[in-house]
Amino acid sequence: MACTRALARLASKRTGMAIRPAGFARGFASVSDTSAREPVSKIAEKIVPDPARTVVPESKTSTVKEPQPDKDSKIKTFHVYRWDPDQPSEKPRMQSYTLDLNKTGPMMLDALIRIKNEIDPTLTFRRSCREGICGSCAMNIDGVNTLACLCRIPAETNKESRIYPLPHMYIVKDLVPDMTLFYKQYRSVKPYLQRDTPAPDGREYRQSKAERKKLDGLYECILCACCSTSCPSYWWNQEEYLGPAVLLQSYRWIADSRDEKKAQRQDALNNSMSLYRCHTILNCSRTCPKGLNPALAIAEIKKSMAFT
Amino acid sequence: MLSTSITRSTPLAQQLRPSFMRSAVPKSARIAAFHATQRQQILPPLPQKIAGTLNEPTLVPDPAPAHGSYHWSFERIVAGGILPLTMAPFAAGSLNPVMDSVLCALLVVHSHIGFESCIIDYFPKQRVPVVRNVAMWALRIGTVTLGLALYSFETNDVGITEAVTRLWHA
Repeated sequence: MACTRALARLASKRTGMAIRPAGFARGFASVSDTSAREPVSKIAEKIVPDPARTVVPESKTSTVKEPQPDKDSKIKTFHVYRWDPDQPSEKPRMQSYTLDLNKTGPMMLDALIRIKNEIDPTLTFRRSCREGICGSCAMNIDGVNTLACLCRIPAETNKESRIYPLPHMYIVKDLVPDMTLFYKQYRSVKPYLQRDTPAPDGREYRQSKAERKKLDGLYECILCACCSTSCPSYWWNQEEYLGPAVLLQSYRWIADSRDEKKAQRQDALNNSMSLYRCHTILNCSRTCPKGLNPALAIAEIKKSMAFT
Repeated sequence: MLSTSITRSTPLAQQLRPSFMRSAVPKSARIAAFHATQRQQILPPLPQKIAGTLNEPTLVPDPAPAHGSYHWSFERIVAGGILPLTMAPFAAGSLNPVMDSVLCALLVVHSHIGFESCIIDYFPKQRVPVVRNVAMWALRIGTVTLGLALYSFETNDVGITEAVTRLWHA
């Protein structure tokens, strides 16, 4: 009896599949007959099989292999400060990126550009000349204010690099600080030749070699603000203290033999805040990516104004 | 009522609370309250404020040599003067009350200038005007007190050079 029932079920299943949809077939009450409870749409697929819908195994489709990290690849992690002004309620965060140093240029700026090109286009930073002459890419890399384009990526891959914007500046986005105040302060020292008397020969303002030599180490400053933002005194009193970069520029014009407004320039600094908030901490000279000595320039200003 | 006061409380308030109330709060909750509180910055920066347009320079203060170059020169003279005065009595081996009193006066001035500089650095006038004034007056009171104390020590006691000598040999 049981044998005949099983035979009958087998027969009805075969005929059901061939002639009419299984869903409409009234089968015997059985748990093994799962196709009887499937929705109509799925059954319709079974009636008209779509060859495009069938899953082709990955081994037959993929032509491009996933990039396998080389055995000698040097993977380094970069932690980058991120803050988006479009989400002002979100706190600034550190985001990690990994790069293969073999495929990256030698400088930090190369790494940042590669991150922006290949990993995360939303990363924001300033850069222009990539050779340390424009001063745009000033940022705090591994705790030191420097130009990203002049800062080599440390070859040790076990050490992770941390990149922040310039410290104690208002941040526009990610690694971009707001330099408005810095430039306004620079403007306040009148960084141009001030002269009333015409040149003796009516053509040029001439300098001796010794006078010209005084300007060496001053005129090279590119105003990247690395020194000013490394100065604790500038962190505390940014609004009133001018900071090493601007004072160096001021001294560049005080020391210039062609300039005739030396006394006015000194008077502009002769108050409690503008110049004398410098406590010779010397962070400026240590951090300058161009190898200048703003602390020496400030000391020269103080010396020239002392006992006068 | 207790729970609301816990969430808001600072660690100092925890300490000031009577001990039976403190013990009523479970230790983990107390620690959590301590750590869950917002980080209290000492002097958080205000929103950026730029005076004038972007193309105007910042204001140049009027020249004040008394707070500028004269002050700086005076500071150096005082600091430089203290050095020989600390050596001289021991080098000479004799005690001169005039030299001693000059050293005291210079020390008072030197400490006043040093602390004044700290106050100017750490309490910006625009940011915390009240704290700045309080600190300045506290410094002035302290300086006067120090001056009086050193005066009485010089006149009624042995004087600082002799005191240092005795401490050295003690």
